[in-house]
Amino acid sequence: MTLLEIFQTTFIGFSKAAWQTVLLTFWSLLVGTAIGLVFAFCKISSNKLLNGLAQLYITVIRGTPLIVQIFAIYFGLAEFIVLDSFTAGVFALAIHAGAYIAEIFRGAIQAVDSGQMEAARSLGMSYSLAMRLIILPQAFRRSIPPLGNQFIIGLKDSSLVAYIGGTELWSAGLGAAADNFKQFETYFINGLYYLALILLFTGLLRQLERRLQVEKRGTQG
Amino acid sequence: MISIKGLDKWYNSLHVLRDINLQVDEGEVVVLIGASGSGKSTLLRCLNRLERADRGEIHILGREINQTDKDLDQLRQQVGMVFQHFHLFPHMTVIENVIEAPIHVKKMNRRAAERLATELLQKVGLADKMHSYPHSLSGGQKQRVAIARALAMQPRVMLFDEPTSALDPELVGEVLSVMKELAQDGMTMVVVTHEMGFAREVADKVVYMDEGRIIEQGTPEQIFGAPQEERTQRFVSQIYN
Ligand SMILES: Nc1ncnc2c1ncn2[C@@H]1O[C@H](COP(=O)(O)OP(=O)(O)OP(=O)(O)O)[C@@H](O)[C@H]1O
Ligand SMILES: [Mg+2]
Repeated sequence: MTLLEIFQTTFIGFSKAAWQTVLLTFWSLLVGTAIGLVFAFCKISSNKLLNGLAQLYITVIRGTPLIVQIFAIYFGLAEFIVLDSFTAGVFALAIHAGAYIAEIFRGAIQAVDSGQMEAARSLGMSYSLAMRLIILPQAFRRSIPPLGNQFIIGLKDSSLVAYIGGTELWSAGLGAAADNFKQFETYFINGLYYLALILLFTGLLRQLERRLQVEKRGTQG
Repeated sequence: MISIKGLDKWYNSLHVLRDINLQVDEGEVVVLIGASGSGKSTLLRCLNRLERADRGEIHILGREINQTDKDLDQLRQQVGMVFQHFHLFPHMTVIENVIEAPIHVKKMNRRAAERLATELLQKVGLADKMHSYPHSLSGGQKQRVAIARALAMQPRVMLFDEPTSALDPELVGEVLSVMKELAQDGMTMVVVTHEMGFAREVADKVVYMDEGRIIEQGTPEQIFGAPQEERTQRFVSQIYN
């Protein structure tokens, strides 16, 4: 079997599985972004309890391998509720990415000049209004590049869901290689699918950045 | 209008404000002068509680300002502030900068807010920059937008913390003339500045501070012409040399 033949025989299976990867990544990063936002606020809050909680979460997630987290959620939670591997995968990936995204948001919020908050407060805005209208829009713009980077990592990380019975791209690769015994060629082609997805995503991201830049430029007030 | 009694403030062990007593009447322009580090900004920032004094009382418009947060936001609507480094909102156009607080804090409707903003921007000579972003403005223009932004809340008092210190010399005049006009319109103003010409011409009262204390206060003629305290004399003579 040539590379082309392997490509042809795996095409339908890989394409379907790639779509699964896209869905898995999309949902996990959506939930992960929400988690990240919540914990970013906990971390900048002056409440010691929330602060400690956020610190603990971030330390544990960053200090343990993703595969351990995926197994812990899938098998650990199986004691209490039945989770299909897709749902468990979404949550595990979300909780994992959330820790990194929290740090991205925290950094971006704190990087906004403190004069912005003072100016907003001096106009009579409450803390939360100033956050919403003045600080967060500036912080979001700053977080787009590191967030994009984190999303790329998230997409590749989703391959580990194969090991709890996922049906995404890498599990399709493992299945195909077991059938045709052409490990190198099959995995090579499998990798090209990831590469294509990431190039696609990077392109979209660049367009978004360019649009934001044309719309509203400058960081100096 | 503003009455400060026995104000003290420390930053850790640094005693930055010492027993400050000061009265500002309606329509009065008070200029704070003094060497770097003498506590001028700190005093100004205490007036809208960007800083909290440790001891003493501040009454503004008859209300004690050590209050709950909600009342504090109300107070700040009455007290506008202009900063040395402008702090315009960079993600908004000039007019958005000006209408943001009236719309979201005062609940003014957008149409009315835009009308008010247009008027104010005309007044500071920037009607043609309404839809520009701050990054495309000069320092003098930025500061004039910042003044219009503060005025849009229709405050009773305006605080200025070295509004021209970050500007190139040739841009200082345009900002000072906007401030002069404001003073002529009867706005109550407290101004920290090193522009002694402005102080002489516009101030009703000049307050000289050193090491956290008010050393002397009086009319510009008194402070610049016949200072009583030795420290004031030294400061004033330094300026004119
Ligand atoms: N947040 C802070 N923490 C600790 N010390 C501070 C803080 N802000 C100001 N200080 C100190 O308090 C003193 C008074 O500062 P302030 O900014 O009020 O002086 P100033 O008269 O406005 O000086 P300048 O003309 O340089 O603006 C200075 O010694 C300054 O270093
Ligand atoms: Mg100062």
